[in-house]
Amino acid sequence: MTLSVGPQHPGSGHFRLIITVDGDIIVKAEPDPGYVHRGEEKMAEVRNYIQNIPHIERPSIIDASGILYPYVLAVEDLLGKSAPERAQYIRMIMAELNRITSHLYFLSIFGIFLGHSTMFMWPMGDREVFIDLSQMIGGTRITFSHFVPGGVRSDAPDSFADKAEKTCDYFEGRLKEYERIFVNNPLCHQRTVGVGVLTKEDAIKLGVVGPSLRASGVKSDTRRDEPYDAYDKVDFEVPVYSEGDSYARLRVHFDEMRQSMSIIRQCIKQMPKGPVKQKLPPQLRPPAGEAYARTEAARGAMAYYIVSDGGNYPYRLKMNVASFRNLIAIPYLLKGVHLADMPTVYWGLDYWPVEADK
Amino acid sequence: MVKSGALAILVGRLNDVLQYAVGEPLNYLVNWGRIYSLWPVHLETACCSIEFGAASGPRYDLERYGVLEAFGSLRQCDLLIVQGTVNRKVAPRVRMVYDQMPDPKYVISMGACSNTGGLYFDSYNVLKGVDSIVPVDVYIPGCPPRPEAIIQALIMLQNKIKKQKFAPPELKQIETKVA
Repeated sequence: MTLSVGPQHPGSGHFRLIITVDGDIIVKAEPDPGYVHRGEEKMAEVRNYIQNIPHIERPSIIDASGILYPYVLAVEDLLGKSAPERAQYIRMIMAELNRITSHLYFLSIFGIFLGHSTMFMWPMGDREVFIDLSQMIGGTRITFSHFVPGGVRSDAPDSFADKAEKTCDYFEGRLKEYERIFVNNPLCHQRTVGVGVLTKEDAIKLGVVGPSLRASGVKSDTRRDEPYDAYDKVDFEVPVYSEGDSYARLRVHFDEMRQSMSIIRQCIKQMPKGPVKQKLPPQLRPPAGEAYARTEAARGAMAYYIVSDGGNYPYRLKMNVASFRNLIAIPYLLKGVHLADMPTVYWGLDYWPVEADK
Repeated sequence: MVKSGALAILVGRLNDVLQYAVGEPLNYLVNWGRIYSLWPVHLETACCSIEFGAASGPRYDLERYGVLEAFGSLRQCDLLIVQGTVNRKVAPRVRMVYDQMPDPKYVISMGACSNTGGLYFDSYNVLKGVDSIVPVDVYIPGCPPRPEAIIQALIMLQNKIKKQKFAPPELKQIETKVA
C-alpha cells in the first residue's frame, strides 16, 4: 500500500513522503521536497552584497547566524579583508547561541513526535531564555542580520557577560532535568534505541553531515577540522556516538549544547576590547574572482561558493545547505522501520525543509 | 425515511423560527462557542512556523485564548493560519486544505511573505499574497511576526467572530482534485 504523508501532516515542516508499506513495515520511502523553494540563489544575483544578507538567513531563521556565517566569510575572502578580533568573538557567541536555540527546537519537536508534551514545553520555554540573550546583541528575536562583511553590526552591551553566565548556569541545571525526565526515560529508549540505524560506511558514502554524521561514529566537525575566526583559540570536544540510531542522534544534540555553552563562556573570558566593524564602502565591489567558505552550522557543514565579476552583484552564489545533504539518507533510514517510528526517524535527522528547498 | 430535500426544507424552516424567536441569545451562544475553540490546521508553509511554535510555548501560551495547536485531523479544524511563503507547488495544497475544512472557517495570513510576497516579491516561484487563493480574515505584518502579534491577530479574529450572525451551514458537495 502506498501512503502520501504531507505536506499537511501532524509533524513539523512542509514536506511530502511517499511511503510504501507492507503491514506496518515501511518497504520504500520517497521524499518529495520543494514546497518552500523560493529561488534564493537566483535572487542573490539581482541584489548587492549587503542586500543579500536578510534573505539569505531566512531559509533557516531557526539558526539565522549559522546560515549567514559562511556567506560573510566568503565575501570577506573576496574583498581580502578580515573582521576585527572582538567581532570574531561576537560572531562565535552568536553562532553558538543560535546552535543552542536550534537544538532546543529540535528537542521540543522530537518530544512531540514521541507524544511527550513536557518535552515540548520545557525546551520551548528555555529557548526563550536564550532568545533573550541573543536579542541583547542582535536586536531582534530570531532574524538578526547581524553579521556583515568586515565585522558585526553592533557590539555586545556591558551587561551581557553577567547575563550569559547566569543563563548558562541555569541551563546546565535544566539539562540534568531533561536527562532525568526524557533521555533516560525507558519510554524514550524503547522508541529510539536501534531505530533507523545509519552505519558509518553508509553515512560517509551518502555524504551526511552534522550531528547525524557524528552519531554514526565519524568525528567530523568543521569548527575543529578547518578552524575559522577564533575557533582555534577555544577548547571544546566533539561528541561522537557509534550506534547511528535515533537515540545516538538525540544524545549528540544534547552534548553539543553543553559544548556550545562552554565555548560561549570561553569567548566571554577571551574577548578583547576594541572595534567590532571594519570601515568598508557602503557599496561593496569585490574584485573579480571566486571564494568558498565553510562553517559548522547547527545542522552540519554549511558552505557558500561565490563568483564575483567585479560588479555590484554576485555573478553566481551557490548555497550548500546541510538539510539537503541529509535528505538523501531518508529513504535508506526509513527502510524496514515501523510506520509509527517514521516521525522520530525523520525528525532525528534534524531535517528542516525550508533550508533544504532554499 | 426523510429525503435530503425535505430535510433541507425542514432545516430552513427551523432556521426561520430560530432567527425570529431566539436569534440574539443564540447568536451570542454560538459565537461564544466558536470564539474559544479555534483550532488551527497544522499547515506550515515556511519559516514563520517557528514563531507560531514559540507562541504555543509556555511563555506566550496561546492555549489561554482558546487556541489549541491541534495535531488531529484538519476536518475538525476551523482556523487556517498560513505560516509564511506560499509558492507555486504548495498553493494548490493550501486551497485543498481550505476546501476540506468544515464551515465556518477563518484564515489568518501570517508574515510579510503570505501577505504580499514580502522579501521574495521578485522571486520566480513565490505567490504575491495568499489572498489570491483563499479569503483572508486577518493579516499579520512582520518577518517573522513576534508571538505577541499572533496573539493580537487572534484577538482581532475573535472580535470579528463576535459580530457574526448565526446561520446553519449550507449543505453542499465539495469536489477536491488531487494535483
